Amino acid sequence: MEGASYQRFPRVKIRELKDDYAKFELHDTDASMANALRRVMIAEVPTIAIDLVEIEVNSSVLNDEFIAHRLGLIPLTSQRAMSMRFSRDCDACDGDGQCEFCSVEFHLRAKCISDQTLDVTSKDLYSSDHTVVPVDFTDYAGYESSEQRGIIIVKLRRGQELRLRAIARKGIGKDHAKWSPAATVTFMYEPEIHINEDMMDTLTLEEKQSFVDSSPTRVFDIDPNTQQVVVVDPEAYTYDDEVLKKAEAMGKPGLVEIYAKEDSFIFTIESTGAVKASQLVLNAIEILKQKLDAVRLSEDTVEADDQFGELGAHMRGG
Amino acid sequence: MEHGSFTDNSVATFSLTDEDHTIANAVRFTLNQDPRVTFCGYSISHPLEARVNIRVETTGGPAREVLKDACQNLMLMCRHVRCTFDKAVEDFKASNAVKAMKIDSQDSSGDDSEESE
Repeated sequence: MEGASYQRFPRVKIRELKDDYAKFELHDTDASMANALRRVMIAEVPTIAIDLVEIEVNSSVLNDEFIAHRLGLIPLTSQRAMSMRFSRDCDACDGDGQCEFCSVEFHLRAKCISDQTLDVTSKDLYSSDHTVVPVDFTDYAGYESSEQRGIIIVKLRRGQELRLRAIARKGIGKDHAKWSPAATVTFMYEPEIHINEDMMDTLTLEEKQSFVDSSPTRVFDIDPNTQQVVVVDPEAYTYDDEVLKKAEAMGKPGLVEIYAKEDSFIFTIESTGAVKASQLVLNAIEILKQKLDAVRLSEDTVEADDQFGELGAHMRGG
Repeated sequence: MEHGSFTDNSVATFSLTDEDHTIANAVRFTLNQDPRVTFCGYSISHPLEARVNIRVETTGGPAREVLKDACQNLMLMCRHVRCTFDKAVEDFKASNAVKAMKIDSQDSSGDDSEESE
């Protein structure tokens, strides 16, 4: 067993949480762990996306592979993805990856019969599994329902028709970006801002105002009651050193000191809608654990010793 | 895959296939926290080949065990982060529900007080 363990246990505090957006703080951990989480969220959390398209009729202005490419990029609700099998690993079907355990079937039939242009949208995709459907982006904040019709796939003129069958499979962002569940995942170091009050008192009000205005984002402000410079939003600081350069230009270096706390991160996660933002983080942690398990257990394989044994024997002239 | 020496098992290079910076950097950091480790680093020989080489040198114990312990510690940390995150989500939702209720009750009581005044 190891001696004193320097392992720290991280803390999490959530700032905002919506269906597709999450902002939280992660304390007492290292940048490598935060970066590992970010990389896994973008590239290795599995989702479901259309992977195989059989087109029966296509008389639209877009060619077949164009439409197939667009279909692949449509986000599908992927709560099932973590428990699904990859098509290549599925032993229920005969290898072509089209059984109900490893894939979901969609079909789309659209024909324009009126003089008005018909928009074929993601809402026209009908799924064989009601838990895996194109993500509904309808904003219920008062818009008319006719304005939110889903992602447009193609537009048809009178007489044009589109009929196809599509198979959706599980995959990860590393293979193709269509399987990435994250729109953006970012983390920043939490800034720690110290204002040197003694030096600040030697400035006139105009100088204080120009100092506050020198920052491109609104980090500081002047308190109207006390006429003091206060920090109004430390996280708006983007680690540009404009305020530090301004302090030096005014002849007062050290007026304000800004450090990045090395073990405190603020994560901002936006999901495409395939997986909820909070679920995305949990799935990412799960995948990270699985990868670590694989590394840990692979060290137990005997074949490495055998190979290595032969190599060693060979090198020793055996 | 471990490349080491028969006589001295405290230094070894572990070659992991199908891995990249994601896991290698995290494992390297955890290994550096371990007091038994004298040297630890990782390298990716070519970006088009999905292979990571992690070199570990210890004060005497078997390098393989030290690597396994590091993976175990990382997994414990992941488990902890997961529990903490779950709890934080629940607390956040609960506090939001309470806020929503307070706003509703304030609206109704506010109307009453305005009427009485």
